[in-house]
Amino acid sequence: MSRRQTLALLAVVGVCIALYLTLYKIGVIGVLSCSIGSCETVNTSRWSMLLGLPIAAWGLAAYVALLLLAMVGSGEAHESSIPIARTIVALSAWSVLFSAFLTYQELFVIRAICIWCVSSALLWVVIFALSVADLRAVSRAE
Amino acid sequence: MANKGVDGGRGRRPGVVNKQRGNSSQRFYMALALVIVVGAIFIVRAARAPRAIANVTTVPVTAAQAEGYLMGNPNAPVQILEFADFECPACGNFAVITEPDVRNRIVNTGLASYRFFDFPLPMHKNTMAASNAAACAADQGKFWEMHDELFRNQPEWNGESDNKDNPKKVFLGYVKALGMNTDTWEKCFDSQAHQSRILANQAEGVRRNVQSTPTFVIGKRQIPGAMSYDAFKAYVDSAAKEAPVAAKPDSAAPKPAAGSATKGSTK
Repeated sequence: MSRRQTLALLAVVGVCIALYLTLYKIGVIGVLSCSIGSCETVNTSRWSMLLGLPIAAWGLAAYVALLLLAMVGSGEAHESSIPIARTIVALSAWSVLFSAFLTYQELFVIRAICIWCVSSALLWVVIFALSVADLRAVSRAE
Repeated sequence: MANKGVDGGRGRRPGVVNKQRGNSSQRFYMALALVIVVGAIFIVRAARAPRAIANVTTVPVTAAQAEGYLMGNPNAPVQILEFADFECPACGNFAVITEPDVRNRIVNTGLASYRFFDFPLPMHKNTMAASNAAACAADQGKFWEMHDELFRNQPEWNGESDNKDNPKKVFLGYVKALGMNTDTWEKCFDSQAHQSRILANQAEGVRRNVQSTPTFVIGKRQIPGAMSYDAFKAYVDSAAKEAPVAAKPDSAAPKPAAGSATKGSTK
């Protein structure tokens, strides 16, 4: 499996997490499965909304964008595309920074941890590392 | 120039490269399908799971009459009842995200009346205090304003908040912000003057076999769980079609006590 395909798989995992939290936020899902931490506290805090939308919906949009980029980039015609590699690095770098900010809010402001949010943050770190490796590989091939 | 097929193995015959690429793609799509199926099963199961189960055996049946808190015209063609717990996140989400549209586009247009019933769940530490806070606000005509503050700010006072041992301090802030008489409210809150009314509302939910919060009764249908505005409106439209042209008031709601039907202000 190529790096881009692995990125697409990780994006689908992220889509599932973000969709789960978004559906909770809009009331479709009643109770979060949360064996560790206080998911409800985090997901009803003031940091659970941004610009009128659930924060999880922004995450969902980012994962969908990553999925599209990785799928297109996995095709034979674009597998060595540097612009796609750079866009994925930029998207994942921004997501890592934003997730770090949200995790800081969880730990030091809300003082509660949402295991799904932390999982998403860790997922972005893995995606970022993989996207940097992908950029270096396609740059070398160029 | 990009070297296409880097991962496919340089120097190998094209047939071998294509076969390897085909195998890799096959594995990828199988893994992708697996992740999607597992994720979908998890999410669908979560969406179908009961939201929160009330401990029905501990609900005392009181002599007080269940009247709820009314918003809108009690003679509207459709009657909507909501059974909710002030500390339940799904109820909070509905109140913050969907209910403003329900008020503006359904209740304020005269299409339906809306009646809120307390349904405090035993696992929520401060929900009974919140119900008392709202009931005491109703005495000063500010039930719905207090209802909104409580739902909007659940993290400030709920059983997991920093104020979990003293929610009254937070409630008093809302009372002041809403311009209520704090002494009157405090006297009412401290004496739990409306406890029997709250328990009667809860008992009404038990009588109706409410299993989760929020649960709505729209016309003749009882629907568990929060929903989108569009879904809510569809139920109201459906109930309106079923209702007689000059609907009899309160065909679905329990009879309110005389003079109590308009407790709480209409927004």
